[in-house]
Amino acid sequence: MNQLFQFLLRQRTFLLFLVLEIVNLWAIFSYNSYQHTWYFNTTNQWAASILSTTQEVKKYHQLRIVNAQLAAENARLHTQLLQLRSQQQPTGKIPYFASAALLNRYQAVACKVMDQTTQLAQNYLTIDKGLADGIKPGMAVISSTGIVGKVMSCTQNLSLIVSVLHTSNTVSAKLKSSGELGYMKWSGYQAEVGELMDVSKYKKVVKGDTVVTSDYNAVFPPNVPIGIVAKVGIEKDDTFHDIKVMLLTQFSTLTYVYVIKNRLAYQQAKLEQNKPKAE
Amino acid sequence: MNTSLSVKWFLGAMAAMALQVLFLRDIAFANVAFCFIYVWGIIKAPMRIATPLLLVVAFFSGWIIDVFYNTHGLHAFGTVLVALLRPTFFRILAPANGYDERSEISLSEMKWLWFFPYVGLMLVSHHLILFLFEASDLAMFGLSLVRAFSSAILGLLVFGLLEFFNRDQ
Repeated sequence: MNQLFQFLLRQRTFLLFLVLEIVNLWAIFSYNSYQHTWYFNTTNQWAASILSTTQEVKKYHQLRIVNAQLAAENARLHTQLLQLRSQQQPTGKIPYFASAALLNRYQAVACKVMDQTTQLAQNYLTIDKGLADGIKPGMAVISSTGIVGKVMSCTQNLSLIVSVLHTSNTVSAKLKSSGELGYMKWSGYQAEVGELMDVSKYKKVVKGDTVVTSDYNAVFPPNVPIGIVAKVGIEKDDTFHDIKVMLLTQFSTLTYVYVIKNRLAYQQAKLEQNKPKAE
Repeated sequence: MNTSLSVKWFLGAMAAMALQVLFLRDIAFANVAFCFIYVWGIIKAPMRIATPLLLVVAFFSGWIIDVFYNTHGLHAFGTVLVALLRPTFFRILAPANGYDERSEISLSEMKWLWFFPYVGLMLVSHHLILFLFEASDLAMFGLSLVRAFSSAILGLLVFGLLEFFNRDQ
């Protein structure tokens, strides 16, 4: 204590100087409008930049939640989109009205991909929703950019999906511009490329046309994008076009998918199983 | 400390401040050179005055000038700083045989080679602080420097003239 006093006494000139200058600084920044504003703006700027940096970090940590929210919102929008599409008037003159049951046929559920392969000949995905969420085998699975596959089996909380990257998984498809029907099949070795089969070589096919799911599809809703025509040729048997399709779904970075529930699927299956079999 | 000298100094400082606020307040040469004659009080303070006392004197003289200039704290900040630096300047400029105990700060007692560097150091440090702080803006750094140095040169001229006419006959 004594030493402290000794120190203060020795430094009294400097301490007095400090006190006086602090008083001056206080006066400068509180009574001079220019310096006052300057002080205000500068400190505000610093505070703002620190706060915005904090905000950035926080935002980054919230990305996971934001992603999930966006996926849920997308699912809602998908449902609406599919509803609007079925409402659309066909180009013909015949008046057409879709029934309410038909309009509300599809409902999208956002799911997260837990595991998937893209490099094998037969690829599957595992997603984080199952029977408890109303998912049943046979439902269509799409991503925000294109189709993904078909639900194969479900447990209470998980589902296994047959990817379109599976040689025995074919999808009824059509060319968007001409409406020409065919079916999409994976070529078996490249995750980005599929083939559109059964399109007659006498029909016009242009590179860059979009391939979408057809209306005659028991699994997928109509007009879901599949891919873009990348290469057109004639097959060896000389009957059909040989069309290579760049798939739109980015399988390598797939995180969220949407399972499409079809409320009329059961009715349709029941109805069609009564078809008389060909003798 | 010589009493008559102290009284003379005190009255002189008062007169310098009065001159400053009454006549020199709004005068600027070429908009860059300002005459801050009130610093006379700190420059001419008796050599052996205690630094704390000088700090207080500097604070109040600066504060009064601030009141008239409407720049609260700015001039006082400069004068207090200069008052603290004054003993350091004395040390830097000390002649080989030290200071005479009874010497007075004036052109007639000190050599001009001592007097002008001393006044110059005092004025430049005071004016630099004052103008830089007044601008508080790096964009005006150059202008503040020009103002500080031109005002210091003007100050040297004025103090030189004062000493010249104030010689002891």
